[in-house]
Amino acid sequence: MTKEDREKQGLKPVSCPVGFSWANLRAELRAIWESNVKVWKIELAYPISFLRECIQPLVMLLPFLLYGLVLIGGRYSEALQGLLETASPVDVVTYIFTGYMVMGFIGTAIWAMGFSIRREQWFGTLESIYVTPTSRLSLVLGVALHSTLHQCISVSIEFLVIYAVFGLGLKIQGILPALTIFALMMFALYGFGVLISALALFLKEGWIVAEGLYSILMILSPGAYPLAVLPNVVRQVSGVFPTGPAMIGMRSLLMDGYPPQAIGTIFLHLLALDAAWILFGILVYYLVDIYIRRRGSLGKY
Amino acid sequence: MSVELSKGLRANSSIVWSELVKNMKFLTAYPTVFVFWTIFPIFWFIPFLLQGQAFVGGLQSPEFAKLAGTPNFVAFIILGAILNSYVLTSLYGVGESMRREAYRGTLDYLLSSPCNKAFILIGKALSESSSSTMYAMTQLVVCIIFFGIEITLGVIMPVLLIIILLILGLYGMALMLAAISLQSKQAHDLAHTLENVFYVFSPVSYPVEALPSWGQIISSILPLTYALIAVRSLMLLRYDIAAVYYEILLLFIIDMVAIFLGFYLFNWMEKRTKKSGSISHY
Repeated sequence: MTKEDREKQGLKPVSCPVGFSWANLRAELRAIWESNVKVWKIELAYPISFLRECIQPLVMLLPFLLYGLVLIGGRYSEALQGLLETASPVDVVTYIFTGYMVMGFIGTAIWAMGFSIRREQWFGTLESIYVTPTSRLSLVLGVALHSTLHQCISVSIEFLVIYAVFGLGLKIQGILPALTIFALMMFALYGFGVLISALALFLKEGWIVAEGLYSILMILSPGAYPLAVLPNVVRQVSGVFPTGPAMIGMRSLLMDGYPPQAIGTIFLHLLALDAAWILFGILVYYLVDIYIRRRGSLGKY
Repeated sequence: MSVELSKGLRANSSIVWSELVKNMKFLTAYPTVFVFWTIFPIFWFIPFLLQGQAFVGGLQSPEFAKLAGTPNFVAFIILGAILNSYVLTSLYGVGESMRREAYRGTLDYLLSSPCNKAFILIGKALSESSSSTMYAMTQLVVCIIFFGIEITLGVIMPVLLIIILLILGLYGMALMLAAISLQSKQAHDLAHTLENVFYVFSPVSYPVEALPSWGQIISSILPLTYALIAVRSLMLLRYDIAAVYYEILLLFIIDMVAIFLGFYLFNWMEKRTKKSGSISHY
């Protein structure tokens, strides 16, 4: 289109910020925010569905709590004390709660982020998004932001109900450092989520891979049991994912009587996982992005 | 003329058979999906087994036996998970299969065909339950091999009878959901809510006695509760079938009520949506 054509149609030239500049960063942050707002709007258009999804983590947690209480006929486990090497028997309610409040965020990485691009395909809007001068990752990160906020609501509901019904032995002073560990875990999970979204774009029937990875991560994360019950090889594999060290670190900071861990080592472990998962996720995403655009299979599903 | 034909038993059996064949074709066309539904539900109950091992320091819990009647929580969990796998497929399956027909653009043809719609639903229900049973049986075999679950030949027939009664009750509820999906188009929220009710209030992972009294009342109207109690009594506690006649009778009563209500609601909703002309909307 020539300059004269544009003037005839009354179109104004738009300059899009590119490269590593503040203007581009601001534009991408705006895209992330708008993507987050869009998902909230869609979600809140179905209030019953929203409500159900908010209490879903609680529904998933309750059987683990009740089962745990029936198993030991109370709320303190001596066998768990032996495994964790604590001075006194461990309160299983607090132990399970601190584990499962983190588990829900695995869903953020796998389902929300992983299927953000796929969902645009279903809606028929993926190609339109792809031609906009913004990074595709901003869309994925916008969905991640929404899902993280949504999950925080779910965890708050979980906390209120469990605290009111069972009571929880938590250390208030540990909340801030635990949140730092949580943030580090989330960065690594975001990297993992970017990887899943690339797989979902590439595999088309990626839900099987996503569900498979989700199930495996649920076993590898010490949500309701310590890693000591897993075979040694599986325990080593667990260290590749951020949920294991994050849960151990958070429990150490939040739970009364939980053996203190080397928090510095956990921080370093999580920082290394952040760098590895983010770089690996982005690399795979860009390779898949180039591949599917070359094949022309972007809109196919 | 064709309307009269469809009233014949042969024609109706052909409808059911065609639905079964169609489902099998879909299943064999996607072998990965079959493998997934066979293997991954096992992964979903493994955390419970690991939790049990960590909390009691072994695979037997005397405290658990006080409420469950058996200290063997591994077998308790596995049987609960396998029977529970029928819940979602049964509740969601029929309603979702009607939605799939709408997606594929075949629902109009299906509902305007001169056949008894009840047999289409029966065909869909049988297809869903046959695939669920295939998944469940394969899971059971895997659990027998890897988790040492013991099964005697004598309990197979009574357990199958209980599973059939469970499926009938669930399909009664599924018919109600299918009816609602005709009107509201999105019944999956309701199906998932119902699935959650079954998961929390039925003795899937813990005995009913672990629930508060109001929870036990909810549990008493769910068919899965009686099916689980009966199957565990036969397979785990080695009781005779005569010992579980009360659970089987209650299961049968729930089935009758659910199926009657399901068919009534579906027919009523079908007429309503036909009148409003919104059958193929989605």
